[in-house]
Amino acid sequence: MLLRLLKNKVLILIAVTLSIFIVMGLSAGESRKTAYIGNALNVPLSPLQSFFSFIGDNIEGTFIFFRDMKSMEEENKELKAEIDRLENENRSLLRYREENKSLREALDLKNQFNDYKSIGGNIIAKDAGNWFNVFTIDRGSNEGITENSPVITSKGLIGSVIEAAPFSSKVLSIIDVDSTVSAVISKSTDIVKVRGDLKLKDQGLCRMDYIPAELELEIGDTVETTGLGGIFPRGILIGTVKEIRQEANELDRYAVIEPAADFKRLQEVFVLKSKYNNAGKASNGEIK
Amino acid sequence: MRVTVLIYSACITLLILIQSTVLDYIKVFNVKPNLLIVAVITVALLRGNVEGAVVGFVLGLLQDASSGKILGFYSLLGMYLGLIVGSVNKRLYRENFFVMIFFTFISSILYEETVYILLTISKGNIDFVYSLKNIVFPEAVYNSVASILIYIIVIKINKKIEGAAKSSRKY
Repeated sequence: MLLRLLKNKVLILIAVTLSIFIVMGLSAGESRKTAYIGNALNVPLSPLQSFFSFIGDNIEGTFIFFRDMKSMEEENKELKAEIDRLENENRSLLRYREENKSLREALDLKNQFNDYKSIGGNIIAKDAGNWFNVFTIDRGSNEGITENSPVITSKGLIGSVIEAAPFSSKVLSIIDVDSTVSAVISKSTDIVKVRGDLKLKDQGLCRMDYIPAELELEIGDTVETTGLGGIFPRGILIGTVKEIRQEANELDRYAVIEPAADFKRLQEVFVLKSKYNNAGKASNGEIK
Repeated sequence: MRVTVLIYSACITLLILIQSTVLDYIKVFNVKPNLLIVAVITVALLRGNVEGAVVGFVLGLLQDASSGKILGFYSLLGMYLGLIVGSVNKRLYRENFFVMIFFTFISSILYEETVYILLTISKGNIDFVYSLKNIVFPEAVYNSVASILIYIIVIKINKKIEGAAKSSRKY
C-alpha cells in the first residue's frame, strides 16, 4: 500500500516535471504559444496589484513630503532663477524650431514618430526577484499593445513589451540583463550596442559595447536608438556616456551609459503603439 | 480540506501581491527579501514535502505569470525547493526557530545561486563571487530575518488548520 502510494507520488512528480519542461520549451520560443496561461493568471492579479501599488506610492509620497519640506524653500529660489535662464534659452530655441521645420520640409524628411500613437500607463508591479528588471503596466492588448511595442518616458527609452495580457503587459527594461538595443552615438553616427549588466543594473545604469576603436568617445556623449531591428523607432534618446572603461587589451573597451530616464523612480510610462499593425510584428533581432 | 485550500489560496495571493508591489520600497543595499522562498520553506518544514511541493509550484507559477520570462521556470524550481526541504527535515525538531532560520539561510543561497547559474549559463560570463557577495548573501540574510515573522504567522495558521482537521474527523 505504502509502496504503491510512493510510486504514485514519484510518478506524479515526474509527470509534472516533464509537463513543465514542455511548457517552458513552448514559452521560450519566438511565438510564445503558452502566453495565455500566464495571461489567465495575470487578469485577476493586475487590479489587485494596481491597488497595492497605489497604496504603496501614497505612503511613500507622504514620507517624502515631510522629508523634503525644509529643502523646498531653497529649491524654490533656485528654480526661479532657473526659469529665467530657461525662458531666455527658450526664445532662441523657438527660432531654431522654426528654422528646423522649414529645413525639414525642404528635405521632405519623414518623421518616424508619426507612425506611432502613445498610450500612457502606470507601473503596477515590479519584478518579484532580485535578478531582473521586468515590470508590469496597467495597459494591455485590449488597447492595442502588442509584443515588442516600445516603451518610453518623456525623458527617454525604457524598454519594450515582452508579453501583452488583456489588461496588463510585461515590460523588459533596457537595464535588464537580457536586453540588447542597437544604438547610435549622436555625434558620430557609429552603431553600437547598449545592453543591461547585472553589476550596473542596481545603480540604474547599462553598458555600451562594440565601440569602434577609432572613435573618440567622450563623457557626456548622447546615445539614441537606430531604428534597426524593427522594435524601436529611430531617434529615441537612450542616455549619456557616464564612464569609459578600458579592458585588458587596448582595443577592447566599453562605456557605462546613464539612461536618460530615471529607473529608480519610475511610475508612469508611455507605450508607443504602431498605427500599422504589422510593424510591431517585424523582425525580432534586437531582443533575445 | 476545504478550509486548508481556502487559507492557502488567500495567503498565497496576498504574498505574491506584497512581493511584486510594496516590497520594492523596503530594499536594503538594492536587495529585497524573497518572501515566496521563505513561505515555501516554512510550509515544507511544518507540513511535509507534498504540501511544500504544491505550495512551491503555485507560488512559482504566480511569479512566472507576474514577472517571469519563461513560463514554468520558477514553478519548477519552487516545486523542487518545497519537495527537497520537506524531505530533508523529517527528523528534526520542527518548531524550533533556529532550525527554521538556518534552513531559510542555506536554502535561499542554494536557490538563488541556482536561478543565477541557470539564467546566465547561456551568456557565458558567470561571476559567481560577485553574485554571491552582492545579491545572494544579503538576500539570504534578509530572508532569514523575514522568516521569523512569516514563521510566527504560519504556525498560527497551521494550528488553525490542524484544529479544523481534528474537528472534521470527529464528526
